[in-house]
Amino acid sequence: MSRASHIDRLRERLVTGGKRAPFRALSASGQLGNGVLEPAFRAGLAREPHSIGADMGSVDPGPNYLGSGKMAPSDTIARQDLALLLEGARAHDIPLVIGSAGTGGAKPHLEHTLDLVRAIARERGLHFRLASITADMPRDLIKAAIRRREVTPIGAIDALTEAEVDAAAHIVGQMGIEAFQRAFDAGADVVIAGRACDTAVFSSIPAALGYPMGPAMHMAKIIECCSIACMPGGRDSALGTLDDTGFIMESLNPMRHATPLSVAAHSLYEQADPYTVSEPEGTLHVEQARYTALDAHRCRVEGAVWVPAARPSVKIEGATRVGERALLLAGCADPRAIERIRTILPEVEQVVRGIVAGDYQMYFRVYGIDGVVDWPTPPTTLPREIFILGEIIADTPDLAKAATTVLKQYLLHHGFPGRLSTAGNVAFPVTPPELQTGTSYRFSVYHVMQVDALAPLFPVTIESL
Amino acid sequence: MKLIDCARVIRSKNAGPTTLSLDLMFESEAQFQSAMKSPSLTREAIAPLYGVPGEMVQVIPYAPALAIKIVLPRKLIAGNPGDKDVYGAQQHGPLLEVEL
Repeated sequence: MSRASHIDRLRERLVTGGKRAPFRALSASGQLGNGVLEPAFRAGLAREPHSIGADMGSVDPGPNYLGSGKMAPSDTIARQDLALLLEGARAHDIPLVIGSAGTGGAKPHLEHTLDLVRAIARERGLHFRLASITADMPRDLIKAAIRRREVTPIGAIDALTEAEVDAAAHIVGQMGIEAFQRAFDAGADVVIAGRACDTAVFSSIPAALGYPMGPAMHMAKIIECCSIACMPGGRDSALGTLDDTGFIMESLNPMRHATPLSVAAHSLYEQADPYTVSEPEGTLHVEQARYTALDAHRCRVEGAVWVPAARPSVKIEGATRVGERALLLAGCADPRAIERIRTILPEVEQVVRGIVAGDYQMYFRVYGIDGVVDWPTPPTTLPREIFILGEIIADTPDLAKAATTVLKQYLLHHGFPGRLSTAGNVAFPVTPPELQTGTSYRFSVYHVMQVDALAPLFPVTIESL
Repeated sequence: MKLIDCARVIRSKNAGPTTLSLDLMFESEAQFQSAMKSPSLTREAIAPLYGVPGEMVQVIPYAPALAIKIVLPRKLIAGNPGDKDVYGAQQHGPLLEVEL
């Protein structure tokens, strides 16, 4: 069965004589799989949106998801969220776009998300054209770009080497709007994308319809986190209404208000530069943006400018295995041990290294003193209790376990001058107090790569369900 | 006055796994302006609180939100062995007692 693409149908509905009627973009979730708040989502559907979008991934939760290929959310809630969005989109026959599938957006994350989508479609009798877009970067292409000096670190990370490229478990690139547009041109009803710019999830359809890129990208940037840009902030779905000069931001929870201050402040959120946002196809500039209250609940935004890039670039992200991790959990309420904890821990580590041979890393975080922050000065008074988290990383699970269990025993019984509590230095909160948490990874790639063309990096596959 | 007593929001978060971003938001234009003038919020004053060289710290005023953004490199890339704060969401503490 062949029929006009969603873009063509939306163009017919919304564009007359070069003018565009308001486009309503429903942002369902900024972290799909962690629970969509259903009342706000349903309130959004009642507004007859032209598209539904959700972001499902990020580098925020750390390198383990990208490295291991595993999804951060549980299958139970991911499936519940996906079902809610799929049913909503199909009931209204509007496109659904999900970016950064399965947290990391690499092939195993995408495949797992697609399996969930197929199972939901089967169970609920939903039929649609499903597009998937991979974001795994060809290693040879990255290495060639390194040799041409076209790969640049983002922030405090070393220059990328060909050896790091080979060592990485997964390397993905963030796709931009063109990848989504190819999926819609191929007749997609639902697009499940690997790693993607969160803005592209929401701006690709309006961009294809000819809405101005500055406001379209700015709207995408604001609504992708749903109601975080509101006062008070929250996770409820948000609605962006875009026209030829700007957009309106509103939360679909009436308790959350998009105010000029709250929306303007969102440009600060998780951004190193509040004035610009770099994307594969260009840069969004919000220096001239104006934020106006339409009423107590909605904010209108105009004035963002889009500057197309002379040459496209892709943010690439990769994670590499470090080793097998084990943790030790221990508390302490003894003033003499707390006072000396900074010498006790290295002393015990020496004992462990004398017993357990082999290469392993050992780190201690002492909560109550400096478990969270590397404070510039020590605390003026010592706490009544501390919590000690020991982290051991070794090449094998057995070696990690050996070091952790010996650490446990010798920390409990370590002798030191002035010791009062001679039957044990620490309190174990659970048994066993050592946990093996599996393979650990580090981010080895977080760079920008110049490319000649984006399309070959992000191939689209279509299937009919 | 201490920052904790005059800022409406003092928060930290990664801006990507290599960079830490700290946002200070003020209630009023007057407070924002006086914070902007404070010698305590220069890159040289902030750097030792985080153990990084002054030239690696950026202080960026953002008037639309009456805010000042402070950007500095993370000492460990987020999630590396030994990292204490994967999201960087609890690194605002050293700013709280800063006298403006």
